[in-house]
Order: sequence, then structure tokens, then C-alpha cells
Amino acid sequence: MNLEELKKLKDKAQRQVALREGNKKYRVVFSMGTSGIAAGAREIMTTMLDEIDKRGIDDVEVAVTGEIGLVDAEPMIRIEEASGEKVTYAKVNAADARKIVTEHLEKGKIVEGLAVGKVKE
Amino acid sequence: MLEELSLHILDIGMNSLAAGARKLEVAVIENTKRDWLIIRLRDDGQGMDAETLQDVLDHRASSKKGRKKNIGLGLAFLQQTSEMCGGTFHVASRPGQGTTVTASMRLSHIDRPPLGNINSTILTLSARADVDVQLHYRSDDQTFHFSSQEGKPHEPRRTQEAQR
Repeated sequence: MNLEELKKLKDKAQRQVALREGNKKYRVVFSMGTSGIAAGAREIMTTMLDEIDKRGIDDVEVAVTGEIGLVDAEPMIRIEEASGEKVTYAKVNAADARKIVTEHLEKGKIVEGLAVGKVKE
Repeated sequence: MLEELSLHILDIGMNSLAAGARKLEVAVIENTKRDWLIIRLRDDGQGMDAETLQDVLDHRASSKKGRKKNIGLGLAFLQQTSEMCGGTFHVASRPGQGTTVTASMRLSHIDRPPLGNINSTILTLSARADVDVQLHYRSDDQTFHFSSQEGKPHEPRRTQEAQR
């Protein structure tokens, strides 16, 4: 393990600290159970965080959750809006993750081809 | 199977978060001279009683009365990996006293997965603002320490105020 690489952890954590705070317009929940992890959920989350950081989007909170039981649909992301609307995206790859950031989190448009569930509370 | 040891760490670390931990210490220790790699996760979560721990180690769901408990394969995967790589695996836990998982393996073993992106794992676990996720890394004479609470926004402000 390269120590220089590890030192980048502190910078990155510093940049992402605001994403851990609540009361934002969007809450992005990553399914991070064993099946999600095996399907690449960690990389999807990293990709999204990098894209959010790159675009300077600040009205977003990120969260992780455990196994939700839909193994075949992993990696899964749920986006919860302050208004109560919830959208679930399934089988997300890196390109999808970037698209969800630019379309949903930046423009407020649901990425229809990727969304598998939508709930309005 | 998980391709990186850091993915095993993430998987088991997620168990700690689910167990209500407020502090999760991840230690990765490499000793090239002795040819050991040790991974230890220690949390202050709710812990497990002897029966639940045995169920976890036997890789079966608990049949405990009045409690439906789903036990995942995360610990089983890491146990398999460490034993396959000439190491040992141990879980110590007590209700109310947290859980410590220790896995060792031969650093040079041909089947040993790479550590992989440990930064990404720690950042993922750090999404929980109310949990202090720590990483202690030691490789021979090099050490590195991280705490997710170091990055809290109020800290620099407090320092500035103290300087005034």
C-alpha cells in the first residue's frame, strides 16, 4: 500500500464532509450490503461523489444502507427528495451514476430509462 | 467472492454500522519480514451473545425465538479468504460490548487478494456523520492514521476562535 495514496484520504474526506449533513434537497442512499458491494456499489458511490464534487452540487446528502433483498438489481441507488418523492435506480454502472448526477441531482429530471420505482409520499 | 480485502472491510464495517456502532476502528497491519497481514475491525456496537456469534460463524440464520435475524455471508467470506491464505480468523463479541473481528493471512500467499482501494472503503463508511470511522495502517516502519471526525467542519472554526 502506497502511503502517499493514503494521505489523499484526508483531503477527500474534508471535501466530502458537507455531504454527510442532513436537511438537503436530495438524499442519495446507496445499497451497501454484501450483494451490492460484490456488484460494484462502492465504485458507483465513489463515481457519484466525484461527480457531485466536480460540479459543485451542495444540496445533497449521501447515506448508505445494508442489504435490501433485491440481489439481482444491484448496484441500487435510492434518491429521496425533501418533497417526499423517492426514485430507485437499479443496475447502475459508472456512466449511469454520472448521468443521475447531471440529470436528477443537477436538473431535477428523473433518468427514466434507469428508474425502476417511483414513490410519492 | 469479493476481489479486494478492502471490500471485505467495507462489508464487515457495514455490519458495525447496522449494529449501532458510534466508533469503528479498522486496523491494517503488514509485516513483510514475518510475512503477515492482519486486518482487525473493532466496534462499540450492540455486540452478539454466544448463540448469535455461533450462528454467524456457522454461517446459518439464527432461529432464536421471537427474533427473525438475517445473517449475511460477509464474515464467512473473510474467514474463507484468511484461512485459504494460511491465516486465522477470530470474532470476539459480547452483548453491549461491541465486536472485534481479526483476520490474518500470509502476505506473500499466492491467493491473497490485494488490499485494493482502502480509501474508497473508509470514505464510504464515513458517510455516517455520527460514527467515528478510524483507519490505523502500519506497514513495517510506516504508519498512517485517519479519523472521519477530523474532517468535521466545526473543528477549524474552533481553532480559529481559539487563536483570536
